[in-house]
Amino acid sequence: MNYDAEVITTDVLIIGGGSAGLWAAKRFSEAAPERSALIVDKGPKDWGGLMTMAGGDFDAVLPGEDVDAWVQDLVYYFDGLCNQSDMEEILRRSGDRLRDYQKFGCEFFTKADGTLQSVPQRGLDHVRLYPAKLKGRGGELMVKNLVKQLKDQKVGRLGRIQITELLRHGERIAGAVGFDTLSGKFYVFHAQAVILATGMGGWKTSYGKNTPTGEGVALGYGAGARLMHFEFGRVWNMPRYFGWEGQTTLMPLGGRFINALGESFMDKYSPILGANTDPHYTTIAMAMEIRAGRGPIYFDLSRINPADTVLLRPQNGWQKLNYDKLSALGMDLFRDNTEWVPQMTVSYGGIDADIYGRTGVPGLFAAGTACATEPGVYAGGFALMTTSVTGHLAGEGAAAFLQGADSLPSTGQEAEIARLRTEAFKPLGQQGLKPKEVVTCIQRAMFPYDVSILKTENALLHALREIQRIRTEDVPRMAAADPHYLMKLREADAMAFVSELYLRASLARQETRAGHYREDFPQRKGEPRWLLWSKGAEGKPVATWKTVPLESYKHPVTRYYQDNFRFA
Amino acid sequence: MIERIDAEKCIGCGQCVRLCPLDALRLNEEGKAYIAYPEDCMTCFICERACPSGALYVHPFKEQLPSVFPDSDA
Repeated sequence: MNYDAEVITTDVLIIGGGSAGLWAAKRFSEAAPERSALIVDKGPKDWGGLMTMAGGDFDAVLPGEDVDAWVQDLVYYFDGLCNQSDMEEILRRSGDRLRDYQKFGCEFFTKADGTLQSVPQRGLDHVRLYPAKLKGRGGELMVKNLVKQLKDQKVGRLGRIQITELLRHGERIAGAVGFDTLSGKFYVFHAQAVILATGMGGWKTSYGKNTPTGEGVALGYGAGARLMHFEFGRVWNMPRYFGWEGQTTLMPLGGRFINALGESFMDKYSPILGANTDPHYTTIAMAMEIRAGRGPIYFDLSRINPADTVLLRPQNGWQKLNYDKLSALGMDLFRDNTEWVPQMTVSYGGIDADIYGRTGVPGLFAAGTACATEPGVYAGGFALMTTSVTGHLAGEGAAAFLQGADSLPSTGQEAEIARLRTEAFKPLGQQGLKPKEVVTCIQRAMFPYDVSILKTENALLHALREIQRIRTEDVPRMAAADPHYLMKLREADAMAFVSELYLRASLARQETRAGHYREDFPQRKGEPRWLLWSKGAEGKPVATWKTVPLESYKHPVTRYYQDNFRFA
Repeated sequence: MIERIDAEKCIGCGQCVRLCPLDALRLNEEGKAYIAYPEDCMTCFICERACPSGALYVHPFKEQLPSVFPDSDA
């Protein structure tokens, strides 16, 4: 094969074309209409990343509502680990993004009086989502409508490009290199600024969670950005055999999990909140029930008011096709009890960026779930909101940065580019391990319940030894038969990196708080602190604790969501 | 996961290949879609929905993953 190179020059390069990347491009090209923006994505052009599989439910603070009350909900929900000033800014802009979506043609569910129907989340007083009008393809329509805006604004978009390294010019990030995953063509992107909108790391657990594998987070770390929230993984209750979107609207309306004895077991672990709570806590309880021999766990929707099923039963898109096929197999969620399991899906670990996406590395911005936002608990509709707002703000941040920045030349890096090109293609055509084999080894180490849910020191140490073995022995032995496998190899490498940080962070936090449950340290300890990671000598991750600066925040921490539960 | 592509029904338009988020599908030398990388399918149904001739069938069951609990395959 002859791997030609294509050289592209753009003002801003946006890596990742999901919600955050699309919004970053939109805002950047509005704020700096004379400048060029280019989105590259490892998936198909314009596919929209995880947003395309989302239900389209959106959290928003509507005009006239109290932003402070929402922030107070989240201070409580996050057990004190809330960046209050950033969260206030994000929420303050959430209503604008909802209105933008409406303006672009996305429809939300309305009540008879024409106002928007909302569904409160997780037993919180104010946090609520606004469901898409028709259940099934809300996220897909958001993608289509946003992409249409970008076409009007002449934003460049390329699919099937896997970025392998960032380019530097002195201290500043000056672009990136990568390859076409179909043809193998090498790409050089010279840019004045780069926005990482790649999503988080994850463990390929099917249904919309097979693409976020952490390459962007690893690139940011390699460039010197700080990371945080790595001790938090998103453990989700998932149907054992199939995928399902939208349990977050089912729970507040009467959905519940029951054990093999038919008991609604969440009533036992949380008499206050019962079944309508955060999935992180539900999955802890599920794991305890299964371990005690009271599994399997079933999802029971028999208590839902039939009038509410219009919000829940898929009406179009992939969700309806899935629902119809499952019904034909005797697995109608609304009629039959289906078996569900707790499953680690993605990492909450991300880049520690400020509200404008600034990472501390000049010219490098981050947005969406590539940034650390939540400490392991998750309200339905939250990601569509945070990714739209932080994407929008990173686009604004990049535009402002370029106003005051010198223009970088696109020459002088030829030797470095040649080296990166050789490096990128080195595993191609070699004999070695298949990326999928390595992914399976990582999953085997990471999925056990005492690593992913009811964490213990012994199990975490055992997993850490295995992940370190994988990183030193298996990852370097991977080979790629073609550019497709070369992309999968990059994913497996990043998954191993994210896994090691998850384990190190989980070991370091010797307490239980928000989305981190240590069975050997079941209580919270002291003041809320964040755990940050940066690259030390020889690339080794170095941990730093930062006490949440409550003295400079509006709201004291007076109550804790975790106190609603009794597990120990 | 994707189960089959009916070569007789496939008209070779390439929509499924273009849209697959995981790049699991490709066109063969006869211009027909085939499952090039079956292990990468994430059961999103995008290919089946895009197919104008009903040539694809995706089974709604997802890939079996390594265990969360000992002595079970869940």
